[in-house]
This record gives sequence, structure tokens and C-alpha cells, in this order.
Amino acid sequence: MPTSVANMTRIKRFTPIQQLFHLLLIVTFLIQGATGLARMFIETSWGKTVAWVFGGYEACRTIHIYVGILMLCGFALHGIYLLKKINWKNLPESLFSPDSLLPRPKDAKDFLQHIGWFFGISQAPQFDRWGYWEKFDFWAVFWGIPVLGITGLLLAYPLSATQVMPGWFLNLAFWIHRIEALLAMCHVFIIHFFIGHLRSHNFPMDRTMFEGSADLEATRHERPAWLARLEQTGELDRKLVPEADVTRRAIYYVVGYLALACGVFLLVGGLINSPYITW
Amino acid sequence: MRLRKCMEHILYGLSGLLIAQFLLMPGETLAQEETASPFLRYKGREASSGYYEEYEALPRKTRPFIAVPGGGPGVFAYSPSAAQVRIRTRLADSHQGIKFYNVLRCEYCHIEQTKDIHTVRARLTCRQCHGGEPIASIEHYYSPMNPLRRHAYVCAKCHEGSSASFASYVTHPPNPAQVSALKSFPVLFYVFWFMVALAAGTFLVFLPHTALWGIREFMLTKKKKKKDADERGEHDSN
Repeated sequence: MPTSVANMTRIKRFTPIQQLFHLLLIVTFLIQGATGLARMFIETSWGKTVAWVFGGYEACRTIHIYVGILMLCGFALHGIYLLKKINWKNLPESLFSPDSLLPRPKDAKDFLQHIGWFFGISQAPQFDRWGYWEKFDFWAVFWGIPVLGITGLLLAYPLSATQVMPGWFLNLAFWIHRIEALLAMCHVFIIHFFIGHLRSHNFPMDRTMFEGSADLEATRHERPAWLARLEQTGELDRKLVPEADVTRRAIYYVVGYLALACGVFLLVGGLINSPYITW
Repeated sequence: MRLRKCMEHILYGLSGLLIAQFLLMPGETLAQEETASPFLRYKGREASSGYYEEYEALPRKTRPFIAVPGGGPGVFAYSPSAAQVRIRTRLADSHQGIKFYNVLRCEYCHIEQTKDIHTVRARLTCRQCHGGEPIASIEHYYSPMNPLRRHAYVCAKCHEGSSASFASYVTHPPNPAQVSALKSFPVLFYVFWFMVALAAGTFLVFLPHTALWGIREFMLTKKKKKKDADERGEHDSN
């Protein structure tokens, strides 16, 4: 397809490496969720069925540990990536510009104004490149992985762990791991999925993270401050890309909806069976 | 030439000795903290096993008139009325004197102790850790469950290489949500409720937020569609 100006209907938002990180996170997160819940719900037939997919109760543990270590490796790689991405020559600008994922005072203002807009009290906030909900999601994962990873390693290797701490720390680690994991799963399977799929702006699916680009008109509507900034600096033209072809778009929808289906399956199954397990 | 031959023989001899040494040496094992420190000598082993060489170490000194767990203060701490519940943590047979004991099941009285990972998930029976009759009290000096030696005598049956620190894991933890845990395992109670507050706080903010957002955008889309339809209608009439 020849790329003419008329075809450039989308704006670049994520690089291939960022998309790869997200895809890796989807796969590992779902595996961790399924193997963890399978063990937690092993007393119910639902839990046994989920465990069967991975080869049983013991196999679930093995997979959970190694995928967890893989996630920690991914987290370390992401840390290196962040350190390389920071512009060390102009550190304050790199950390506190609207392109940064660090929270700014404007995020709190945007949040309150957004809630005002829900009730029709105030104007819709002028979002920049990252909305406050996106920053929250990023930092939730950023702290969630170390919390789950450290408690998980303590529980997976208790003999080594108790050489440096008393054994009753493992009682604490168990509950921290469990509640943090349930929080993470509920947040992703309810809130993240709702924002990405169900709200009218994105329905039936926001494929920005898979395609790497967002619809220009929709972005102009949702993130006017970012677009204004790009137009002012003249960077906008360099960020415009054409839409992906139909096959690729179909793949994005299939991947997205598969992840959604797995998440909803785990969420609903877990909620239904939660009264029938020994907590 | 002779010298070289001699050297060769010495080399063969040495390597043979080396191989013999590897074959005859005991294999690598996980120690139950039995290694003596040059400073503490056998204190670690003594504390961990209750034994010094082949002799069982003497029980710690007792102060019967002061230290009765749960007992009231005073000279008559051992009197029937001193403790609200009879303290049975130091008996040779912790169930002595219980009526119809031979027809009871453990869970008739210890139902709370059946709701933990070891029982529910690993499907351990009581006796696999607590042993056969008579079941000595945990604090009894010669009980295998005594914290002095339980890691080596009980935990290590499955968790090979377990240490005294490892054995301080609370196998029958209280329900961390209940106020009673505040007394028996306060740190667990606080950690549990801190995590629950964190999760509840997140959802208290984000669930209504996301729902309202969805409703607002839905209303906006409907309004826009209606507006578009009206405009088209006007065009048609013109």
C-alpha cells in the first residue's frame, strides 16, 4: 500500500520493545495468575481443572516458580531499559517533562477534574501523553513485581530464606503474596480491561499497545495537550504512521480477546469458588 | 630414563590414592546444623538437638512458683483455680485425664488446627508430625515437638536441612483477619490488614471511578449519535 499523507491516520505511541515488554507481561501474568489460582483453589473442581491444564498441583508450583523468575528477569531488563532511556545530560527535563511516567502535580489535578467531568461539573481535562490512570498502572506493576517476586522467592526457597530471617516471616510473606496477587489480578481483569475494552472511546478494543499507534482523531480528542505540544515543536509529522493491514489488525484483536477471555475466566471462576476454599 | 620411570610410578600411585580417597570419603550431606563452630564448640548442636555427644542435655532450670504460662501470679500458681484453662503444655501425655479419649478424634477439639496449608494442601495427618500415643506436650522437655529439637525431629522429615529458624514458621497460624490474632500473632494481623487496606483503597477509588467514566462516555456517545442523526434529518428535509 503506498503511504500518502491521507493514509497517515495514526500516531506512534509505543516502540516495538515496549510492545514486546507488554506482550511478555501479558503471557507471564496470565500463567502466574492461572497456576497460582489453581493451587489456591485446588480444593474445588474448578481449581483442579485449571491445575490439570498445567499438569497438576505440583507442576503448577514448578511453572509458577520459573515463570516468576522469568518475570523478575524481565523486570531487571526493564530497569536497564529505563536507565538507558533517561537523558542523563538533562536529568530534570527527562524526569519531570510530560513525556515522563513519573507522577506530576498535574496528574492529581487531572484526576479531580476528570471526576468533576463525570458529574458534568467541570470541563474534560486536557490530558498530555500519559493519563494518570496509565501512570498508576505502570507504577502498580513496577512495585507489584518486586513485592510478589521477593515474597515468592522466600516462599519458594524457605530453607535458604530462613538462614537470614526467622521462619515466621514466611507466614507474613504468604499473606503479602496472596493479597498483592489478588489485588493485581482484580485490578487488571476488572479495571484495566474495562478501560481498554469497554468504555465507548475504546470499544470493542484499544489496540494501541499491540499496533504501537493510536487513532489520530481519537487521540486529538482525548489527549489535546500532547497533540498541541507536538504541533508546536513540529514533531507531529514524524510521529504519524499508516494503519496496519487487515490481517495484522485481526491478529491484534484475537490476541487481545484471548487475554481478555483468560482473565475473565480466572476472575469469574475465582469469585464463584471463593467461598469453598480454606483461606 | 630410570628417573622418569620412577616419577611415573609416583604419579600413578598418587592419582590412585586420590581416586581411592574420593571413593572412600563419605558423600556430601545436608547438615542439621551439626557443624561445630570453633568458638561455640558444640553449643549449636547441643541447642539444636538437645544432645551433647550421646547424652541428652539436662532440661533448663525451672522456676515453678513464678513461670506458669497463663497462670496467675503468686505462690500457688499450680493450684486448680490459677489458670483459667488447665495448662497442658508441659505434660508427658498432654491428653491425660480426658474422658473417652480413645473414641475422640483430634479435630473434635482441635478444629482450628485443621485449616492450614500442611493439613489442607499437603494432606498431612496430625500423627505424621505429632506422633503416636502418648502425645507429649510441646513444651515437655523430651518431646520431639519441643522447639529445642523439633526442626531436626519433625520438620526435617520432609524439609531436609531445616534449621531451628526454619521451624519457627507458625504451622497452625491464627486466622489473620480475626481480633484474636492480635494477641497470638500481632505482626501477621497488622500485615494482613495493611495489605487488605491497600487493596480496598485501590478498589474504593478505581471501581467507582472507572464505572462513572464508562457511564459518562456512554452518555456522550449517545448524545453525539443523536446530534449526528438530527443534523442528517435536517439535511434530508432541506
